[in-house]
Amino acid sequence: MEDIVCNGCSLLCDDVVAEIDNGEVRSLGLCLLGFTHLDVALKHQESNSVDDKLEKAADLLASAENPLVFGWSNASNEAIKEGLALAETLGGHFDSVANLGVVQAMTHSIHSLKLDADLEYVRNNGEFIIYWGSDPAESVHRHPSRFAVLPRGEKIPEGVESRRIGVVDIRETETMKIANHRMIIPIGSDLEFLEAVTSELEGKSSITSSVLGIPAAEVIGFVSGFKKSDCTVIFYGSGILNSGNALEKLTALSRLVQAVRKSGKEAYALPMYPETNLMGVVNVADEIPSSLQKIVANEFTTALIVGDDPLSSLPGPAAKALAKAKLVYIGPPGGLADKKATVSIHTTDMIIQGSESMSRLDQVKIEFKPWRGVRKSETTSEILKKLHQLVKTKA
Amino acid sequence: MKLNPMELYNLLPKTNCRLCEPKTCMAFATKLALGDVKPEDCPPLLEEGFDKKLEKVRELVAPMESAEATGIKLDEGRCSGCGNCVVVCPVDVAVEPDTAIGKAGKSGDTVFRVENGISKIINLEKCRRFPPDKLNCRVCEQYCCTDAIEIW
Repeated sequence: MEDIVCNGCSLLCDDVVAEIDNGEVRSLGLCLLGFTHLDVALKHQESNSVDDKLEKAADLLASAENPLVFGWSNASNEAIKEGLALAETLGGHFDSVANLGVVQAMTHSIHSLKLDADLEYVRNNGEFIIYWGSDPAESVHRHPSRFAVLPRGEKIPEGVESRRIGVVDIRETETMKIANHRMIIPIGSDLEFLEAVTSELEGKSSITSSVLGIPAAEVIGFVSGFKKSDCTVIFYGSGILNSGNALEKLTALSRLVQAVRKSGKEAYALPMYPETNLMGVVNVADEIPSSLQKIVANEFTTALIVGDDPLSSLPGPAAKALAKAKLVYIGPPGGLADKKATVSIHTTDMIIQGSESMSRLDQVKIEFKPWRGVRKSETTSEILKKLHQLVKTKA
Repeated sequence: MKLNPMELYNLLPKTNCRLCEPKTCMAFATKLALGDVKPEDCPPLLEEGFDKKLEKVRELVAPMESAEATGIKLDEGRCSGCGNCVVVCPVDVAVEPDTAIGKAGKSGDTVFRVENGISKIINLEKCRRFPPDKLNCRVCEQYCCTDAIEIW
């Protein structure tokens, strides 16, 4: 078996191996999500020439006035950079799902709040781990075993026995099974609970009765986790922000982290999301204006979609409006954008390609590893580079 | 059947005398439930007045002490391949040290290994529940988020 890197989710596991034998894939270490992703990607390997389709795509894009250049959450960092350059040549609007709504709040705002740490640091130091509005057992399967809950680290000699685990959610999640503190709060009450915990931690109030239906003793026990641990890490998911007032809640989360830090302890907060390379987009294209309103207003008559399926992930009105545009799709086969596109250029998935890089959810750059047994084909960035050259000749 | 640490704790002297290795009665009860300590490791429990409680504690832990083999069922339909069992298993960590820091088990020497997206028990005889250890270790079951692992 050979070393590979998995892009089944934002963890980009690079400690796994796989082989292909008679068209069947076998793997060690890949979770079910990753294995399924690899299996599907293997069946969708592309080796046909894309030159004819590129010509048509270039014609469409070069003739458009203000094309939308959209997608990227599953594209490589190199493809994203090519996309930015192409958008500039086209005089188009570069955008991504990383720039929308809750995801925007989670991925962009976190930088300005200076709350993050990398996952290796968490493994080595994270003593009090909190999953707030996020459930890794459902979407980022290996997060607890690789980094946050079970592994031993430099200051975590006994693994999970050296850590304390908390889960805050509106329902009983699978991850709660392995938690010391299980806080089930009513829908939309994250802000209130954040403030109650921060206030108790700062000594501004004293919890004497139940908080949001959780017995006082349990909340006090949860707060004591912050006080007793040298390093607290909060992994917050879209669950904390989905009920509205995302920025207000992020600010409250930041206040909680600052309150812990003021007490002389370390504290961090990291976003949790399953999309493969959202951080890649954020790293190369920070603070781009959102195109959502313009999409809804049908301002884009032509769009290039790369490494994403916005027709299935954008809010209904935006997806419907975008579906009316002439679409050029570049990415693995399948999905609504591929189906609706005027020109579809299929690429082989990066897990098979084994080249270029993506950014893990903690922004660490992960280089993909080349491996034998797969047919080589053009990468998305190579295709975009060719498309860019063609567009220049037509401009 | 799982031993309940709270049930065992309620039978202990609850003095936190610190004469045992775990130091507190609750920690002792937890280790007792895992088979890591024996009732006799609690000096106050051996004192006069605790005879009935000692008898009850011995009764509760007896099936564990006499176990010669174990049953572990891994429901592949529930498993997500998260690898929690691989990383938390003390045997796996000993035979393939990289699993201690969260790396995927690949050697073939571990009790658990995630193959094709699903955890498999590949060396059941190495489980600490088997002789010579015969420990009531159930950490894999305890840290399996999807309840795919069942021990009896």
